[in-house]
Amino acid sequence: MLLRKVCLVMECNVQLEEALLATCKELQVKVSSDFTGIALQQSNSTDIKWPFVAGNCNEKYKFITVRYGKGIAGKVIATGSPMTIEHFPDNIIGKSIEYPIMLAENLISAYARPIMLNGRPKGAVLIGFRKKYTIQQNADEVIKTLIEKIEDLIKRIYNSN
Amino acid sequence: MELNAINGASTYIIQSQDEEIKRIALELHEGISQNLFSVFTGLEVLQNNMTNPDMASYAQELKDIMSRTIQEVRLLSVELYPTTLTTLGLTAALSSYIKLYTSTFGIIVEIISNGKEKTISEGKSMALFRSCQEALINIAKYADTANAKIVFTWNQDSLTIEIEDIGKGFNIEAVTAGNSCKGIAAMKERMFIAGGNFQLFSTIGKGTKVIFTLPISC
Repeated sequence: MLLRKVCLVMECNVQLEEALLATCKELQVKVSSDFTGIALQQSNSTDIKWPFVAGNCNEKYKFITVRYGKGIAGKVIATGSPMTIEHFPDNIIGKSIEYPIMLAENLISAYARPIMLNGRPKGAVLIGFRKKYTIQQNADEVIKTLIEKIEDLIKRIYNSN
Repeated sequence: MELNAINGASTYIIQSQDEEIKRIALELHEGISQNLFSVFTGLEVLQNNMTNPDMASYAQELKDIMSRTIQEVRLLSVELYPTTLTTLGLTAALSSYIKLYTSTFGIIVEIISNGKEKTISEGKSMALFRSCQEALINIAKYADTANAKIVFTWNQDSLTIEIEDIGKGFNIEAVTAGNSCKGIAAMKERMFIAGGNFQLFSTIGKGTKVIFTLPISC
């Protein structure tokens, strides 16, 4: 009986994770970005990983772990505020090596927003471009709607665990 | 004569900078970290004696912040000066750094060691460690590759370290002529001070290889 319950929870999580990946891809298509990624704080530590990405040009994201407050995702989670990089590595705070996902994916411009869970930042969504690019204002509504969808899916994953 | 004076000055600057970094790292590790840990355990005692659940919850938040700060200070200290270099040796210190490097940049580094590791002085170990660190960071910044290889060859009276990637490579003459490659100059200078040798090879589209050779006395 317990095993069956565990299996049901796992099956449910797989479906939610697939939905998260699909939303990540949807966001990439709708804002015509080169790369879109979801960074999430680990449940057992403050470390941050990139479990869902779209448009990646290599597998480096799978191994990257950033510390709370470090990197673009760490800074967005620590401050709970959006962050924009216009022309990496020019005019960035700190050194370029403090932005591993930008280096790993050869990103030049990026926009990141926090993912909120129970009123606290628990992750970040990164929209990246491999050339200098400014996100159009009308894309803001699309980004907001899809981040809300991502937040809802993450909340369901946390609740099912 | 003038050139000797310049070399002497840069040797002095690098050595005093290394000593200062070591002093700060040890102070962080042995002074500040210990004090923070005392505060953390004190908070735990206070929390256990709190009857008001709101206050206990607030104490828990403070403990979480303190725990994160202890971890940050510990990592900062290790980044500044790897104490394993003097306790466990160069290979162990670099292996430990490479674990951190992979989890930071997502680049997998294969480590190969030939021959039996020998004891080398702290100054020489540090020169090699910093030079390897610089070479690996250059791979993360410019090579556009997911894999790299580091080969240690311990000979009777010398150590050779080769760091190789199959990334995009670059034109050495063009890059060094621009005076923008301070990392390459720093590796060369560190190896010169330690009495060693630095070689750099790169082919566009095929990758880059750096070789550090250092005489070691038994």
